[in-house]
Amino acid sequence: MRITANITSDNSLYNIQQGRAKLDKISELISSGKNVNRPSDDPINTRLLLDIGDKVKTTDQYTSNISKASTWQQIANTALTAMSDTLQLAKQQIATISNGSSDATIRQNAVSQLKALKQQMVDMGNTQMGDQYVFGGAMNTTAPFSGTASGTPPTYYSGDETALKVEIANSTTQQMNIPGNQLLTADTAVTQPYGTTNILKAFDDLITAVNANNVPGIQAGSQAIEAGSKQINNAQSDVASRVTRLDSMTKLNENNSNTLNNIYSNTQDVDYAKLAVELTQQQTAFNASLSATAKISQLSLLDYM
Amino acid sequence: MGLSTAMEIGKNGLNIYRVASEVTSENIANVNTPGYSRQRVILESAPPTTANGFPMGTGVRISTVERYYDALLQKQLVNAQTTQGYDTTKSTVLQQIEPTFNEVGNDGLGAAITNFFGAWQDLTLNPAGSAERQAVLSRAQILTDNFHSVSTALNDSISIQNESLVPLTNDINATLNNIAQLNGQIKTTELVSGNANEARDQRDQLVRDLSQQIGITYTENSDGTTDIKYADGGAALVTGATAGSFSLDKITDPTKFAVKMTDTSGVPMTPAPTTGQLGATVALRDTIIPGYLTQVNALASTIATQVNTQHLLGSDQTGSIPPPGGPPTTVAFFTGATAATISLSAGITGTDKIAASGSATLLGDNSNALALAQLQGQKVMSGNTATFGSYFNSLVSKVGLDVQSAKNTETQDIAFTKQLTTLRESNSGVSLDEELTNLVKYQRSYQASAKLITTATEMMDTVIAMIR
Repeated sequence: MRITANITSDNSLYNIQQGRAKLDKISELISSGKNVNRPSDDPINTRLLLDIGDKVKTTDQYTSNISKASTWQQIANTALTAMSDTLQLAKQQIATISNGSSDATIRQNAVSQLKALKQQMVDMGNTQMGDQYVFGGAMNTTAPFSGTASGTPPTYYSGDETALKVEIANSTTQQMNIPGNQLLTADTAVTQPYGTTNILKAFDDLITAVNANNVPGIQAGSQAIEAGSKQINNAQSDVASRVTRLDSMTKLNENNSNTLNNIYSNTQDVDYAKLAVELTQQQTAFNASLSATAKISQLSLLDYM
Repeated sequence: MGLSTAMEIGKNGLNIYRVASEVTSENIANVNTPGYSRQRVILESAPPTTANGFPMGTGVRISTVERYYDALLQKQLVNAQTTQGYDTTKSTVLQQIEPTFNEVGNDGLGAAITNFFGAWQDLTLNPAGSAERQAVLSRAQILTDNFHSVSTALNDSISIQNESLVPLTNDINATLNNIAQLNGQIKTTELVSGNANEARDQRDQLVRDLSQQIGITYTENSDGTTDIKYADGGAALVTGATAGSFSLDKITDPTKFAVKMTDTSGVPMTPAPTTGQLGATVALRDTIIPGYLTQVNALASTIATQVNTQHLLGSDQTGSIPPPGGPPTTVAFFTGATAATISLSAGITGTDKIAASGSATLLGDNSNALALAQLQGQKVMSGNTATFGSYFNSLVSKVGLDVQSAKNTETQDIAFTKQLTTLRESNSGVSLDEELTNLVKYQRSYQASAKLITTATEMMDTVIAMIR
């Protein structure tokens, strides 16, 4: 083939351009630290990276949901423990007058103690997380419990029985709340997972019985408080099992997240050692090509004529 | 045959080697001219005469000045240029669109969709919370903004392609006219004398330029002219010294130019350009970019429909109880069914209009918010086979694939054209070494011819001296 100076210079330019393009690519990879900087770099892996990115975001959302739901459970648990303690105090108080007393002062004392304990139960029932009453069901913007029964039929509870659910994994939900009526006024609840005792009514009945020195009434009240105590304990174990489930879901999500992040970083993070070697190779080649071009393009017959 | 013949041969030599040096200087001067083909003087011995009883030459003469030209290479170059013109245009435009879909950082439309449904998830935890409600509205706003920006980018790109047809067809028309004009010049010149080498070079270069813009087929005629036909439909673009022309009209669709043409016999036509830059521009404008836009629109429309349907099933915080069997009082969440028009509906006047609850009386209920949040994981796109996220991700991947393959074909085309150009350069390109060598050669021959005349003169002087 006949070679002219123009062919040589065109070829040199083309090859220098190729060398520059390779150096530019390596420089982009090193400085960005990413293998895929735009979809066309690797369309198939782009798809993978995007899917993983979406999944990580969703998993993060579930983790955030779980963490908020856990806070809710902790607050509910604190209230339930306090309720359980309160009922314990009530039982001790009842034990002192389980056979009644002819002394009106003693009875009066017991009644005021019981009234205070009942008010504590109502206050616990009105526990709030942020603006939300945790035992209010879906009507959780106003206090669900009051100390006196009102309405027809008379009830202490003005909330409702809706189960509030949050998503903790894809299409998996967890009930977050305990509707207050299932807890403190279970006799009127539609579903009765913990028991059937109306604890607040038991207090009121007990107070009436103590006032009237009605021994069978006091003993019936004592049994009702005992049953109520079990009911609260049942609710506590329900909350505990929810916490266990949320914890295990958190771990599962963390594992998922770790695995996904590993895949992401295996695909997306550059191998610096490999790139450094490539860079050195390309540099050597590019230097050689520049040097050769500079030397060869100076050769001309004109210099010798 | 006498001394005067020797002087005559010497004079011829002087003339001819002067001409040969001129051709060499023309070659040297045009060493960097695009499309120039090197020329050479073809020398032959002048017809012999019979003198002194035997035939004898009468010196040298120029048979012709010809150029180095390979018709097959020209044909291959023309075809390669057409493919390269198409692929380069496509690749350039697609690379401009790609950033619109650059989701690799997870922060574009795809992220906006995920965040929008994430905001509904947050709302399920505190359905009455005004901060959570505000977050839903902000995320919805960001989502619609992202849709608008993608739609604007694609639509802008479409109208840029449309407008670029104007300079492109003007350019094609100018080239066609120039070719026709050169055809005329070549024909006239060659009728009078020899080869119109420079005009042919210019015309061949124009034909190669033209073939980047549109696909062509051409025929080289014996009278030196080249006839050109359009590869898409075979209409005559140049016949001899007459050129056809392209035009654009907006009669059928005011937003889009229709490509029209008139062939060399004045017949109006409506071609369907598929080749060269013109074909690529039309394909980008009518098929490729609108294809992406359709998919983005489908995404926007389905999100709007699905969110609205579920939203209408819920209750907002305004406390209005829907009449039994009557229309729901909850308002739609989005209006608009395309990426360009989707926006928060006018009815969403505040955070209290968000229907998080499943019941008008239960303000703390989260069932509708939960149902809306769960839409994210539901396969409602592409005939219920893809979620919103995966649908968009495949679109991004598709754009990436298109850009990648366009870039690859462009690189291949460039390499192929380069190979052909090198071959052409090898055949037709000027080599300075060669020209300099020729120059020395012609200079020596010129000196020798001069010497011949001097010698003949001296001989003549000898003869005249004899007479004295």
